[in-house]
Amino acid sequence: MDLTRRDFLKLSGVTALIATGLFNLKPLTARAQDLQLRIRYAKQTTTICPYCAVGCGQIVSVSNGKVINIEGDPDHPINQGSLCSKGSALYQVANNERRLDKVKYRAPGGSDWEEKSWNWAIERISSRIKETRDAELSDGRKTNRIDNIAAIGGAALDNEECYLYSKFARALGVVYLEHQARI
Amino acid sequence: MTAELSMLIDVSRCMGCRGCQVACKQWNQHKAEKTRFTGTYQNPPQLSPETWTLIQFIEPVDYDDNPRWLFRKQQCLHCTDAVCAQVCPTGAINKLENGIVYINQGICAGCKACVETCPFHIPKFDHHSGTVRKCWLCLDRVKNGLKPACATVCPTGAIRFGSRAEMLRIARERQQILTNQGFAPRIYGEKELGGQHAMYLLPENASIYGLPENPRKPTEKIIWRWLMGVIPGLAILAGIGSYLLKERSKSEAKTGGE
Repeated sequence: MDLTRRDFLKLSGVTALIATGLFNLKPLTARAQDLQLRIRYAKQTTTICPYCAVGCGQIVSVSNGKVINIEGDPDHPINQGSLCSKGSALYQVANNERRLDKVKYRAPGGSDWEEKSWNWAIERISSRIKETRDAELSDGRKTNRIDNIAAIGGAALDNEECYLYSKFARALGVVYLEHQARI
Repeated sequence: MTAELSMLIDVSRCMGCRGCQVACKQWNQHKAEKTRFTGTYQNPPQLSPETWTLIQFIEPVDYDDNPRWLFRKQQCLHCTDAVCAQVCPTGAINKLENGIVYINQGICAGCKACVETCPFHIPKFDHHSGTVRKCWLCLDRVKNGLKPACATVCPTGAIRFGSRAEMLRIARERQQILTNQGFAPRIYGEKELGGQHAMYLLPENASIYGLPENPRKPTEKIIWRWLMGVIPGLAILAGIGSYLLKERSKSEAKTGGE
């Protein structure tokens, strides 16, 4: 096949025209692949946000005994799914590398923390509570209250934990009962 | 054809609580970033591969030295005429039927073409994964009938999510209310770049909020990127062709010699 310079230019012109007709520069429209929620198989339970007095409802997703997601509960009448930045970060209360998972004990006057077992700690706490309570009740008067113990609660206790906590404190006779989040 | 979805960010309603920012990190399991105090509540200072949405805190100093404090949720706007999808040489960035622009992490080669061309500077390159990452409008949640994490979590109703027609209707209503209050509101994203799937209702000029008044796509870059795909392809084909021709002439020479 003999190609003159003119023929070559003509041919390439036609090819370029066809090419621009065939390939347009518009973005392609694609179909999304089947994406699954990462909380698909998780067990969902509801809870109340522990932080402030608003009391937003939340859904906790648990998979294999681990909390994998916490988000606002759309069916809750108070927040209807919404949360603030602090409530949105509640997941970090359950899963946090900086969370202590062992008992740390510092003896009176001591300067170092030592690791102790849970059994040791519970026994020690109960014996101290008994001692303190007995000291208050030892003067022979009949009272139904304990003035020398105060319960100050915890910052990340949720609704149910607070309930148990107050039941426990009242059973002991504690009247100075407080909790960080007033819910 | 699935219905076009859209997010509506009513800037006049945002109070800057940043619940959306945390919810986004929480759902997409992004790490926290180590940052330093920069004199503003805006933190982290800009979007990153681990921060797909960010509340911008803007303090414009304008008429009669009246201090004002404005908040804008910065995120991917999911344009219809998505420049990022057009320049993507591997086809990793998809424009989906429902309007979401989605980067397929398995295909992205990390060439940063989209990082350069996005008129809003949204996609960010991740040095750990070697890919570009950005907001995907929680496609997994949307596919399963949930709202995106940020839209679910917004306490003031500044972030809404639903069909595009419905969002436009709400935006027009709010626009009317704001106009009656003496603002000059604008629905940003109704027609910009073919219509965005995350629209803003701005009570004032777009430039105050750090948005281009008239976003335009860099067309010359698109053509250049397109040619960058075609030219090397042709070169490779020509290389193979010439190699085959050479081989043929060689074998012909051999058979000719016998």
